[in-house]
Amino acid sequence: MSQMANKMNFREDVTLGALFLEFAKIGLCGVGSMLAWVHRVIVDRRHWMSEAEFVETLSLSQFLPGPEIANISIYVGSKFRGPTGAITALLGLTAAPLVVGLVLGTLYLRYPHPAVIQKVLGGISAAAAGLLIATGIKMLMPHRRRAAALFFAALAFAGIIFAKLPLLTVLVGLVPLSIAVAGVMSLRAE
Amino acid sequence: MSSPPAPVTFAAQIALLSLISFGGIPSVLPDIHNLVVVTKGWATDREFADFYAIAQAMPGLPMILMMSLIGWKVGGLAGALASAVATCGPSSAVAFVAFRLGDRFRDASWQRIVRRGLVPVTVGIVIASGYVLARAADNGWQAAAITGAAAGLILGTRISPLWILIAAGAIGGLGLL
Repeated sequence: MSQMANKMNFREDVTLGALFLEFAKIGLCGVGSMLAWVHRVIVDRRHWMSEAEFVETLSLSQFLPGPEIANISIYVGSKFRGPTGAITALLGLTAAPLVVGLVLGTLYLRYPHPAVIQKVLGGISAAAAGLLIATGIKMLMPHRRRAAALFFAALAFAGIIFAKLPLLTVLVGLVPLSIAVAGVMSLRAE
Repeated sequence: MSSPPAPVTFAAQIALLSLISFGGIPSVLPDIHNLVVVTKGWATDREFADFYAIAQAMPGLPMILMMSLIGWKVGGLAGALASAVATCGPSSAVAFVAFRLGDRFRDASWQRIVRRGLVPVTVGIVIASGYVLARAADNGWQAAAITGAAAGLILGTRISPLWILIAAGAIGGLGLL
């Protein structure tokens, strides 16, 4: 346990309250996809993670069970405040949107609703898609000079969009190759 | 032997599925559909689809809301809460341990190489997800223009994404899509 405590990264501004509120904000704003919001709040505004750390944590999350964003909240919470922080961040992320969703969802199911709601949602999801694409591009920027990185990013995109492969197939197929190439490159650089 | 009450059965099943939900809950949705609609008859196909659509449109983690809506149907408020905890509890415990272990080897050179290899694939997948979302929402060039404008505004300005979403919702509501 003491070894774990040493790894923790206490910072004055990262109180349990701040963790809860920032993740609640992410949860409540994140319609369509939360990734854009996590990136904006955690990396761009609060600087709780660097760009590199964010992408690495997201990568690891893809190999873990459970929702990626929930796993990122676990990482950030435990980084600054240990197990309590992890639970606080996860609760912030999930509790408030769950209340809103259960209430509105039950109302939506119980009563007739005007067609305009569907149209508003259509506009929001088109924009949410744009936010997600922009977040991906931001994450790629630090690697734009590495040809191998661009190549594997393009390959992963093509695997999902054009070959219509399941996520797990793309990960299992490309990641070992991509790591092997990164290994060879770093050996040659030395 | 009497079987346990329905909400307990449901929560226990999702807790198990949560542990193997690599790539998120959508990867185990077929199993959940099988349990809820086919085997137990707790919800109809139509209700299952409605829960999915609502979960996608609401803020928050869609799958937690979807499981809670099913849990609500199965066992009221207690069922909803139990389902929410079962959806992300077990997988979160695994993630916590994994991050702690990963942190211990953070500075090892093999980990740096692994990360350099992982990152591009992840980024490709994120951009692909945005593309899939755009296609799912697509109603022609107007929707594509909104997607493009939203991406451009995020990359080129410091405007809050919230305003972009509100504006896009208004454009949709006015019937311009």
